[in-house]
Amino acid sequence: MSAAQRGHGPWSGTRVLDLTGLSGAYGSRVWAALGADVICVEPPGGNPIRAMPPLAPGHEGPEASLWWAYYAASKRSVVLDPTDGEDAAALVKLIASADVVLDDAMPADQQAYPWLADAGEGGLGVAGIVERFPHLTWVSITPFGMTGPRRHWRSSNLVAWASCGLASTVGFPHGPPLAPAGEIGVLMHGASLHAVIGSMMSVRARNQAAAAGEPALGQTIDLSLQEVGLWLSPETGVPLYLDDQVPRPRAGNRRPVTSPMGMYPASDGYVAIIAIQPAHWNAVAQWVHELTGNEGILDEIFIDIVVRREALEAVDAWVEELTTRFTKQELFVEGQRRRIPITPVNTVGDLRHDPHLEAVGWWRPEEHPVLGTYTVPGSPFTTDGDWWAWQRAPMLGEHTDDVLAELT
Amino acid sequence: MTVSADRRPLSGIRVFEISIAVAAPCCGKAMAHHGAEVFKVEAHSYPDVARAFGSAWARDPELADVFCDTGPYVPEMSAGKRSVGLELKHPEALEAAKRLLATCDVFLTNFAAPGIAELGLDYESVKQVCPDIIYAGMTGFGVDPDKPYYPFRAFGPNQAPLVGWDALTGFPHEEPAGIPSIAPPDYMGGLHTMLAIVTALHERDRTGEGRFLDISQLETTVSFLGPYLVGQGLGVPEPFRNGNRVSWAAPAGIYPCAGDDRWIAVEVPDDEAWQALAGFAEWSDVPAHDAGGKAALSTYPHGTLADRIEHHDAIDTELAAWTSRRSPQQAAAELQALGIAAYEVLNHTGVLADPQVHDRRPYSIAPSPRLGRDLFVRNPVRMSDTPPYVARAGPNMGGDTADVLTEIGYADDDVERMVADGTAFVDARPEVVLERPFDRWYESVGIAEFYDAEGNMTGGDQ
Repeated sequence: MSAAQRGHGPWSGTRVLDLTGLSGAYGSRVWAALGADVICVEPPGGNPIRAMPPLAPGHEGPEASLWWAYYAASKRSVVLDPTDGEDAAALVKLIASADVVLDDAMPADQQAYPWLADAGEGGLGVAGIVERFPHLTWVSITPFGMTGPRRHWRSSNLVAWASCGLASTVGFPHGPPLAPAGEIGVLMHGASLHAVIGSMMSVRARNQAAAAGEPALGQTIDLSLQEVGLWLSPETGVPLYLDDQVPRPRAGNRRPVTSPMGMYPASDGYVAIIAIQPAHWNAVAQWVHELTGNEGILDEIFIDIVVRREALEAVDAWVEELTTRFTKQELFVEGQRRRIPITPVNTVGDLRHDPHLEAVGWWRPEEHPVLGTYTVPGSPFTTDGDWWAWQRAPMLGEHTDDVLAELT
Repeated sequence: MTVSADRRPLSGIRVFEISIAVAAPCCGKAMAHHGAEVFKVEAHSYPDVARAFGSAWARDPELADVFCDTGPYVPEMSAGKRSVGLELKHPEALEAAKRLLATCDVFLTNFAAPGIAELGLDYESVKQVCPDIIYAGMTGFGVDPDKPYYPFRAFGPNQAPLVGWDALTGFPHEEPAGIPSIAPPDYMGGLHTMLAIVTALHERDRTGEGRFLDISQLETTVSFLGPYLVGQGLGVPEPFRNGNRVSWAAPAGIYPCAGDDRWIAVEVPDDEAWQALAGFAEWSDVPAHDAGGKAALSTYPHGTLADRIEHHDAIDTELAAWTSRRSPQQAAAELQALGIAAYEVLNHTGVLADPQVHDRRPYSIAPSPRLGRDLFVRNPVRMSDTPPYVARAGPNMGGDTADVLTEIGYADDDVERMVADGTAFVDARPEVVLERPFDRWYESVGIAEFYDAEGNMTGGDQ
């Protein structure tokens, strides 16, 4: 892929160095597809994401990981060994050429990068780098932030969910807390989106200042995974608790607020139903009545959500008589036709064959020189313009020569 | 702080927000914290659930008219926004909304596409009054009426099951636990929307043109399943919920600690950390559960990831035996010293006592027109030169109607008449200032930065 081909999309002309792993990968993937020149600077062994399962069957080595194939899409790969003097000097040049650096080094490592010492910079940390290159926006994505007594503590997607209070509310009462969506990495991807949004705002402000004849200055951004978790979990967090003093314990897959509310068995899996509003309940009751002849469920006392909470087990059992008769997709389509907020509890396989995603033409083929041809998800959102430029993930070091040549 | 001195990156950007619950409001709130002026246009005839929830302690008939200002979600989602009360089903209110829109840069909504069209605020209508508008429409299933799920309803808590996250939450031998108490898909939709808006602003700087942004939450949130969706076409087995384990690190899990419902999350990131754990002196007092009669934790000092995954159950049993004799803080400190990712599974009281939270203060307290002052989470994107903040909590429902209408050219008489005939509304009894029952805790809890009405940090000692 040449530099000319990259000149497309609203962020063309903006260069981003991605030094992160999972905590930056999703957001910088979106940015790259929106035209930014996102360069993954990898050590000779490759970014750790390249080793993450699932791997493409029959493949091993640095191109085999489907995490890499997906999250590195539209980016470029440059391999540099920061312990090598020449590479370290190239890395400093590359940083100077960038608008944004996304970095997930631990705070202690950000105090002084050894490779900057090798490049003759005397072991500069982030503060020194941005002083030398004030146009840069430098984002530090760290477990607990750049300050505070636990800034040196390590984290992960799972550990971050624990540290923000959210995991304690997910799971069954008899079991341990759970990370939502397991290894999907939702919190990490949330962090990456914040990192990219912050960087975009900083670059735009810098460009506007330059256009107005003012100093074109970047900023540093201190992003803590723990605080990302706090931001996206008010439902379980401190403000609600300080207001009502009601703990939010793990309640399993149904909320004991009323019925039906939560997960119910279908013939081939589960569906999720929320019937709080009277109209939603009436539609559920009518459907149960039509199918099972249940007259009692039509009694208007059940329109009161409190009555349904008090009769939770009975109402749940009536609802299950309905849900177990159909597949989750049948319940989804017919339930939605009846204006009931009901959705299937989809698996990855279900979504791969989801009729709506098929109908909107979401999937697209991608060709990879090692992995062959496969189908990948489409863009996360669309516009009335031609914004997206998706390219396959780069092979390890694929663009090292090109990028280094551009620097000289 | 005066407007001209405000260098926050979205300073000068005006956002017209018509929204419900979380998905669009959390996008507008992030924009407000970074300097945008956000107008939340609200109506009593279709109130935001954040208004309808109110607060349990305010369920007093005498407070019925101000109940809508008391919910903790009000500051959480809308602190820093201005609330404009317009009953848009009235033509005159719609006209006022369009006059406001003509001054705005961004239109932000998560109303369903048919609903927003019914209000007369579809893209074409908005574009007529504001040709360079950046119009962000967040829907469940897009804006094409010919597509299968277009008429379906998307509810925040129903989104995680729909997009595959719930089925992956839980243990393999149990029903999916799901995540019914929280709605992370809404937040992820909001972040995608903000990314799209900032991109459109950047584009508009160059082209002068606006943009229609179609943020269908199904696609934005299914995107997170990418590697697994790609795998489906390549013959990779479908992923199944696997507790807190991951396929690239082991051990990983949440383990019981001493005390009632106390837990620690642990993830060993790499071989080096595993070797440190395996060589840790403490395993001699751990009962042996491995087939060889030796503690699994020390049997595989050079074990590969595959070994550790194979023996994960035995390792878990022993690690749990060790953690259950310690407090979560003690266990976390010992494991972190070995280079292992570990943290107490905090609940609400744990967050309030957390030393990192105390040091970094990720919450704000700012003046509130209804509650004197109020608490809400800060934006986590801590920019060094232009840190995010908002200087006011609330807003009261309709509390900024008169000011905003005046700013866009309405005479005082017009405003009074619109309020009198129910086209617009202002906040109920602004003189009623309540106090959250736990207001007096705020200083002692030590988790928040305090702001005054000018946006200056006060340290909470005013």
